[in-house]
Amino acid sequence: MKKILLLTLLLLSIKATAYNHIASLNLCTDQLLLNWVAPEKIASVTWLSASDQYRKAPLPEHIHLNRGRAEELLRLDPDLVLVGQYGAQRAARRLRELGFNVVDIPDAYSLEQLSQQLQALENVLGENPPLEKQKALLEKMLAQPQRPAAASALILSANNITYGSGMLEHQLLELAGFENLAAADGTEQLRRVSLEEVIAAQPDLLVLYGGEKDFAIAHLAERHPVLRHYFDRDRVFTLPSELSFCPALVAADVLQQLKEKRKSLAAKQ
Amino acid sequence: MQQNNNPALILLAALIPLALLAALVSGPVSIDLPAALAGGWHSEAGDAVILWQLRLPRALLAILVGGALGMGGAAMQGMLRNPLAEPALLGVSSGAALAAILLLYYGVAWQSGWLLPVLAIGGAFGAVACVWLLAGRGASASRLVLAGVAINAFLSALMALALNYAPSMFAMQEIVFWLLGSLANRGWDQLLLALPFILFGAVLLFCARNYLRALSLGEASAASLGFRGRRYPLLVLGGIAAAVGAAVAVAGTIGFVGLVVPHLVRPLVRQDPARLLWASALAGALLLLLADILVVNFVGAQELRIGAVTAFIGAPFFFWLIVSVRRGQAL
Repeated sequence: MKKILLLTLLLLSIKATAYNHIASLNLCTDQLLLNWVAPEKIASVTWLSASDQYRKAPLPEHIHLNRGRAEELLRLDPDLVLVGQYGAQRAARRLRELGFNVVDIPDAYSLEQLSQQLQALENVLGENPPLEKQKALLEKMLAQPQRPAAASALILSANNITYGSGMLEHQLLELAGFENLAAADGTEQLRRVSLEEVIAAQPDLLVLYGGEKDFAIAHLAERHPVLRHYFDRDRVFTLPSELSFCPALVAADVLQQLKEKRKSLAAKQ
Repeated sequence: MQQNNNPALILLAALIPLALLAALVSGPVSIDLPAALAGGWHSEAGDAVILWQLRLPRALLAILVGGALGMGGAAMQGMLRNPLAEPALLGVSSGAALAAILLLYYGVAWQSGWLLPVLAIGGAFGAVACVWLLAGRGASASRLVLAGVAINAFLSALMALALNYAPSMFAMQEIVFWLLGSLANRGWDQLLLALPFILFGAVLLFCARNYLRALSLGEASAASLGFRGRRYPLLVLGGIAAAVGAAVAVAGTIGFVGLVVPHLVRPLVRQDPARLLWASALAGALLLLLADILVVNFVGAQELRIGAVTAFIGAPFFFWLIVSVRRGQAL
């Protein structure tokens, strides 16, 4: 049933999207296109989207993998080129000069920016049901009243980095009813957090950030025995890595999962 | 004269417990040390966990790794009779680092916490074996150095290649951070892994102490004193590979300790290469522990890597070395 619904949504999007030869010079817009637009309408995505680390949707064989260079896209003659806020700016400028239809899609580091990102994408792609569904979910999230924090949480990301009040991850934690201890400590963006600080802070929930499947020195802290009791007592939540490079895909799902986690923690207490 | 130097060595040894105490009270979190000590090993109280599971193993690991690097440096300088020799010269550090990098590069799924250090120790032994085979039977010190430089250069080229073709920025960062060394997030696991190898290396070097003494008279004199054949150089190389390989395996590559420390303590042991081994182990342990105290108290968005701190200590040492040479002093 779910598959039929998705297929219907996809078919609807095929009808609605005016462009038939879209190229992307940004990893996030790659993923959004691959997930929400019919494959035959995508001409090129970045090479990063072919790597296992970032691929979150099937990659059709005909799609050209670009390395962010203008000359690669010239011969593909795309009718729309999507670029991010920061990467491949030189290629974007060159393509604009050559008369291509290049559209900037802003990056998103908060729920508000996420909404703007989806709006920008909708403006250019036109009617697209999966996109609209995601946008509606985000608007609903933004309209939710701030609930009082029922439990505390602390993010421990790669290289002992934690996330403060200015970050999307913090917003999701707060909306799910968690107090982000890093933000309570005055952190606004990112800061280093040692294992000592994690132990001293004693968060109810330890939030990890992707990458736990493969070996990495950056994730050594998560494997330290002092955190074992968090795993034993199921007080760990792992944010998907997509949240860092393309939150539009997963933000709503993550919020829902965090809410469920808070409920399960409350039930245990 | 020798007795006059003993107080300095005793002072060096006495400084280690003091530095250990400083390490136990240093950190981003203020803890009640007596209560944490009283809480004991099995306590689940935050202060006790921080003391027994985080600070103590890290400080002991700094002592162990520093000791291994210092001792390895002294053994290298003694065997090669070259003041600029250090374990990296024979590719020990590079061999261990390359094995670790290949693991990081290919992102082999984490099966066990032992995989990386075990491979790194294997890499150190592999590098030394290559140097030994390349230098050939009965190689002189200069031929060993030459073989070591060749193998080390080759391993460095492979590391550069791995960096060049790193599959992602994340992998590249992993490799670079590994090459800068770190004791962060290490615990008893890493300590217990490195300990037997470092002790084994120390025993091998202890067995080779008189060979090092005899070598200070020259290779011909050492041979006339009965230190001929492959046994003794192999003891030294095996000892260095075990001790330094294990140190690199758990902490990454930490430069300059093996180079600088033997020079600093050589006057205290009256140039005796055998006593220099233990004096360098003590001084290396103290130096790395102090460097790590600096690292844990450093406030910044990113962790200050201990290899960067030792490099900052090592570089001025070279200036001093040059000034000493210009004044006509012996190295």
